[in-house]
Amino acid sequence: MGMSKTEVLVNNTQASDPLKGKSLWIDAWQRLKKDKVAVACLIIVILYAIVAVLSGVGLIAADWGAEVGPSYAAPGADYWFGTDIFGRDVLSKVIHGSQVAMSVGLISSLIAIPIGVTLGALAGYFGGWVDEVIVWFYTTFSSIPQIMLLMSIALILGKGINTVYIALGLTSWVGLCRLIRGEVMKHKNREYVQAAGAIGAGHGRKLFKHIIPNVSHIVIIFTSLQFQIAIKSEVILSYLGLGVSGQPSWGTMIDDAKLELARGVWWQLAGATLAMFVVVLAFNILGDALRDALDPKLKGKD
Amino acid sequence: MRVKSILLLGVLALAVSCTKKDNFKEKVLNLTVAAKIKGLDPVNTGDTYSSNEVARVYEGLLQYHYLKRPYELIPNLAAEMPKVSEDGLTYTFKIKKGVKFHDNKCFEGGKGRELKASDFVYSIQRMADARNVSVGWWLLDDKIVGLNEWRDRNKDAEKTNYDDLDIPGLKALDDYTIQFKLKKPYPQFLYSLAMSYTYAVPREAVEFYGKEFLNNPVGTGPYMTGTFTQTNTLKYEANPNYRDEFYPSEGAPGDKEKGLLTSAGKKLPLVKKVIVNILPEDQPRWLAFRKGKTDFNGIPKDNFESTVTPDKGLSDEFKKQGVQLEITPDLDITYIVFNHDDPLFKDNVKLKQAMSLAYDNAEANKLFYNNTAVLAQTPIPPGIGGYDENYENPYMKFDVEKAKKLLAEAGYPEGKGLPEITYDTLSKTVSRQMAEFFKKNMAAIGVNIKINTNTWPQLTQKVKKRKAQMYGMAWLGDYPDAENFLQLIYGPNQSPGPNGANFDDAGFNKEFAIITKMQPGKERAERYAKLAQKYSEQVPWILGVHRTSFVLKHSWLKNYKFSTFNYGNVKYWDIDLDKKKEMVNKL
Repeated sequence: MGMSKTEVLVNNTQASDPLKGKSLWIDAWQRLKKDKVAVACLIIVILYAIVAVLSGVGLIAADWGAEVGPSYAAPGADYWFGTDIFGRDVLSKVIHGSQVAMSVGLISSLIAIPIGVTLGALAGYFGGWVDEVIVWFYTTFSSIPQIMLLMSIALILGKGINTVYIALGLTSWVGLCRLIRGEVMKHKNREYVQAAGAIGAGHGRKLFKHIIPNVSHIVIIFTSLQFQIAIKSEVILSYLGLGVSGQPSWGTMIDDAKLELARGVWWQLAGATLAMFVVVLAFNILGDALRDALDPKLKGKD
Repeated sequence: MRVKSILLLGVLALAVSCTKKDNFKEKVLNLTVAAKIKGLDPVNTGDTYSSNEVARVYEGLLQYHYLKRPYELIPNLAAEMPKVSEDGLTYTFKIKKGVKFHDNKCFEGGKGRELKASDFVYSIQRMADARNVSVGWWLLDDKIVGLNEWRDRNKDAEKTNYDDLDIPGLKALDDYTIQFKLKKPYPQFLYSLAMSYTYAVPREAVEFYGKEFLNNPVGTGPYMTGTFTQTNTLKYEANPNYRDEFYPSEGAPGDKEKGLLTSAGKKLPLVKKVIVNILPEDQPRWLAFRKGKTDFNGIPKDNFESTVTPDKGLSDEFKKQGVQLEITPDLDITYIVFNHDDPLFKDNVKLKQAMSLAYDNAEANKLFYNNTAVLAQTPIPPGIGGYDENYENPYMKFDVEKAKKLLAEAGYPEGKGLPEITYDTLSKTVSRQMAEFFKKNMAAIGVNIKINTNTWPQLTQKVKKRKAQMYGMAWLGDYPDAENFLQLIYGPNQSPGPNGANFDDAGFNKEFAIITKMQPGKERAERYAKLAQKYSEQVPWILGVHRTSFVLKHSWLKNYKFSTFNYGNVKYWDIDLDKKKEMVNKL
């Protein structure tokens, strides 16, 4: 279920703005294509998304809880990634963990984006007291250390994966809000907006129909970066015992490994960190490449 | 195996670089505790972690002989063992003269005043005061003449009246004599006077500090500490005015050979400073021990194989470092509790039996206790009257098929219609693994478990408020008597008492009340055994194991002897600084 929704998101933004957007998106895609590393990263991300979706619908790694061998069997022909304390297949756990990680990235983004875009757009567009209130709010909000906020949300809502979604979603919109606010400020006095105003468009139409589609590339960049932040945060929260419980996650696997290393069992740690390392790196590189590709100032330069 | 050592080295290097250099000029005991401490108020020390801390500062009338086994009660603040009337109902204690409370600003002029018999009256009133919600009240509930009436009188009053001394069974006859009158024979009574709940507390401190009393302990004990600030380190200094207490000059057979009598006759405490680090996770505790930052420690399950050889010796690596291993069966029981407040468990014995049968206890012993524990058949551990080694509990045999059958008979074929059950545990790695193991076992018969993690104070609060549906616990004996284990399912002891299962069965309650009045002996043991067996088959809990304690100690720690009732034993321990200087470099 991971990537499919992201793609829908991309398609929607394109569809809502067929004429103006098209050239920007196609141009960006053509620039991105030239960056071999970025394309490789995109493929990696898509692969993770496919794995996550397949695991989510139960086609692979559905039996992660099954006992397939002895406790702590080393990696080998039978169990590629070895087994854990209960004789469960570590590979299945890594795969199930990718489902947890990708869903956390996706859902926390889906929560953070509407909040960040709406507040940022309102603040940037209207300015004045609206701007002051919103800026005051997010400045205050972001002055609370994130890990404290995550812990208190987890304590209020009870622990579990839904809490992780909500906690990460609610704590990560500030950066996006700031960027959107700045961009909207730049755009609101541009000629195309004034033109829209001249033919009678109201605030709502100018903001949502004209300005937001022109700053939406920021959302794409934000999403790719938010994904990897969310994945890392989920791992940290689960490691601290505040996150996912009752199903495998990379965080709990690393937590297990903390003790297991003493008996020479390194494969849970290796499996989880490797899986996390690859996807986080891919998202990071992809995020950078997208920023370059979508930056209008770099248009036409190679 | 290479990966292991490299990774471990990395962690070790980190641990070393952030700790201070050792100080070899002064004797310091370095200890650890495995859970957060809620505060140091004797009446609310329901767990072994806080009892241990409280016992460094506070003392009671009696204590256990440090070395002798079987465990033997001896006077602590009492001058001698009590005079007991012929009917076994009246206990008269003389207390030691000249014992001073710690110097503290709650006293006039900041000087600790002398301990009086009335301090014990006050301390036991505090335990009985319903406003204190003492987790130890079960111990004296309905035992002392007039105490329950005093409790009830004050419960409804606006304020507890501690000047109301109309308690016929609890009297200070003069400054140094205290008399207890029991309602009925209660042979375990003396044990309760060695427990942290009944330790002597000065009224001045409680009134001076009010709600903050639990963070400002003032006792008569060998050690004193300032204000407890909920940090991760507790620091104690020796009490300079500690009375003349001496190291025992006789012990159990073999103690002399082990060097446990070399300090005989020395004035206690032997070490001036005690530092206790709160380290909830196994691995940091273990690493601290390996680097000599703590003087003794248990062995984490994952380090067991590389530490202990199959014939229960120490591996060479540890021998070279002078580390010593002490193996002692512990008087305890681990168990998974059904909260019988929940209608799901209250009337459905078959559901509980099914879940018990689905729990693979032998596998749990292998995974979590390195196969060193004894599988429990009843709550009573080996080594005390009432344990029957020939008895096998029919619901403690791992049998998935029978479990499924019983689950269907309970009204939930294949788990259909059964709501998800919440299992509360600690947010520690091993606790989570145990919870996952339980979840996995239950899933095999179609019972859905949701795991919820807590800190230790959160979990104990939940249990006290009867809000935990299922949870894992361990009970360490307070005294060597089956009563202490069976009272865990005695109806009147429900939460906030120690019966966290809130199990209440009229038949059990009646028989239990009769047996506890009996004097120790064969007949009592047999009746305990029968009662324990009958009601274990009602499955108030899913039984776990009776553990064996594996303690490692460093060569420089002198006089350490494992005890299940080790509260206050810190005063006997000593540090050999020369040895420490020599051995620390070998770690």
